[in-house]
Amino acid sequence: MENVIVTRSLTKVFGANGNAVHALRGIDLEVARGEFVALVGPSGSGKSTLMAIIGCLDSPTAGTYTLGGESVERLSGSALARIRNEKVGFVFQTYNLLPRATVSRNVELPMLYAGVGRRQRRERALELLEQVGIPEKADRLPSELSGGQRQRVAIARALANRPALLLADEPTGALDSKTGAEVLGMFQQLNRQGHTVLLVTHDASIAALASRRVELHDGLVRTVESRAD
Amino acid sequence: MSRTGAFTLRLAESWTEIRENLGRSVLQALGVMVGVASVLGGFSISDSHQARSDERWRKLGGMERLNVQPAEAIRGGNPSALQSANLGLRRLDADEGEEMNRKAVNATSVQKNARARVRSPYADQTRQISGIGGDFLPLNGYEIERGRLFSTSELEAGAPVCLLGAEAALAFFPTGDPLGQSITLGETRVVVVGVLRELVFRWRDGDGNAFAWRNRLIAAPAAFVATRMQGDKYSRVDRVTFKIPDLSLMEGFARELVAVLKSNHRLQDDFRIDDIAARMRKRQSQGQVYNIVFLLSGVLSLIGGGMVNVNIQLASLKERVREIGVRMAIGASGKEVFKSFLTEALLLTLLGSLAGLLLGVVFAKAICSFLEIPALLRPTSFLLAFVVAAGFGVLFALYPAWKASRLSPMEALRYE
Ligand SMILES: Nc1ncnc2c1ncn2[C@@H]1O[C@H](COP(=O)(O)OP(=O)(O)OP(=O)(O)O)[C@@H](O)[C@H]1O
Ligand SMILES: [Mg+2]
Repeated sequence: MENVIVTRSLTKVFGANGNAVHALRGIDLEVARGEFVALVGPSGSGKSTLMAIIGCLDSPTAGTYTLGGESVERLSGSALARIRNEKVGFVFQTYNLLPRATVSRNVELPMLYAGVGRRQRRERALELLEQVGIPEKADRLPSELSGGQRQRVAIARALANRPALLLADEPTGALDSKTGAEVLGMFQQLNRQGHTVLLVTHDASIAALASRRVELHDGLVRTVESRAD
Repeated sequence: MSRTGAFTLRLAESWTEIRENLGRSVLQALGVMVGVASVLGGFSISDSHQARSDERWRKLGGMERLNVQPAEAIRGGNPSALQSANLGLRRLDADEGEEMNRKAVNATSVQKNARARVRSPYADQTRQISGIGGDFLPLNGYEIERGRLFSTSELEAGAPVCLLGAEAALAFFPTGDPLGQSITLGETRVVVVGVLRELVFRWRDGDGNAFAWRNRLIAAPAAFVATRMQGDKYSRVDRVTFKIPDLSLMEGFARELVAVLKSNHRLQDDFRIDDIAARMRKRQSQGQVYNIVFLLSGVLSLIGGGMVNVNIQLASLKERVREIGVRMAIGASGKEVFKSFLTEALLLTLLGSLAGLLLGVVFAKAICSFLEIPALLRPTSFLLAFVVAAGFGVLFALYPAWKASRLSPMEALRYE
């Protein structure tokens, strides 16, 4: 099967010399199209750092990273912006919505950067809000929404430009278990619809739902477990 | 604008940003406002004053004139034979000057002054008499109100006729119509053939008439004054004026004229050429010095305001680092971030300069009304003030916008 993500000896060092932090120390990871991968590991093991590099928010110190067959290291800032815009959908633990923009404008924003016309943007945003189950909130501000609703908006925004890859860094971390389960169900459904999903979690029960579990420890991949079925 | 409406959206976002940080925005716009107001106000005040002065010149008969007046050529000692033989400035000089360059000259006048006793049935005063010739009246901004000009034959023959300025008419004929009446200039009775329209010019609304003296004119043909009143058979004159409508021809004409007059005057430098347009240019360049000062003070406050703006923008950038991180994470390029910061600064500049233009108008009107001159606001001053402000607005917006665009997405997202 075709690999969406391929990393080879990926390292990331923060700071220099005396107080250098080796967040990643040689990650070899392959994720195939259509997989649902749970990234687990103790706090500080490098999960978020790895996610940021995979999502082209940050660049590795050394090693190679190929996304959808394209080598990412040599790309310019605007080429990376384009990848973040079109190929990757990022969902954060703290939602990261723009507080002064309405819900639908938040969802429209990636499409605006992609150059989609106004009418189409609005239509697609409403369609996505319908899909995540909060069409009636389109003209509200994020501050008027509950945590679960905000995360739905963030998911709708991540899906705006139909990216093949969804990255979620502890998307349920700030939610109660019931709402968390709903959001998680949404990712499962998106995975069934063909999206490749990479999800960071602390929760073993969530990790159990994934098709594969990758455990990081101190900047290295410790174990990889595939589900039997 | 664009198909995606990205520009309008950026504008709307900038507007929201400005509105939600009103205090900060007002502070930022203030520098621009003061700068624009100072440029516009300053220009308008100096323009208004200039316009006043130009109007005065227009009423004096225009400034496209070249005057020739006699000057003292003999300095100390007895005059040489050549000097004694020189007849000075004469009618002939005027005619030759006109003849010399018909392309440049479109009117010529001569003036011969005398002081004499002037008597009418109502008054008896010693007055200045102007002997005039050629196009004296239009060249000096006079117009006939009633009666007529001197005819060519009257001018040639030095006929006993005269024209009265508005004040003179009133002084010598307080009642009744002076037209056709006789008046005695020196020892000769002359007939009043015309009365001139009153000339009025006030520097400020409440001021007295700066042209009052010009209404005292009592004019007779120059030949009359020279021969009948002064017994001068050479028709010497006190002033020759050439009107040169095309100012570019002025300098060449003046040079030619000097050569001709010098040879006429037996190589004596006994005349003085006064190029009014050149004098005006000098004054105008003084006006430009004021404009430069106003421009400079405007630019200085724009620079001051600009530096404040850079600091405010950088501080507000700190508040917005996370937001920029979010935007970048969902696909905004550095260019996009740059544009949105610049749009905001430009919108602020625009609002600030509109307010500044308004303030500048108020400023100009207030000062002009204090000086009691009509305020003149030229469109070019508006344009210049605006362009200068916009230029500085962009200039000072560039650095914070560039800083914002250079943020790394991950660092921006992690920023607390
Ligand atoms: N920008 C940075 N500068 C310096 N050190 C950093 C930076 N980002 C991460 N680190 C360090 O790198 C290591 C890995 O951090 P990372 O955020 O990837 O861990 P994590 O696995 O996501 O942890 P958690 O489960 O708590 O979110 C940590 O020691 C962290 O302190
Ligand atoms: Mg983390």
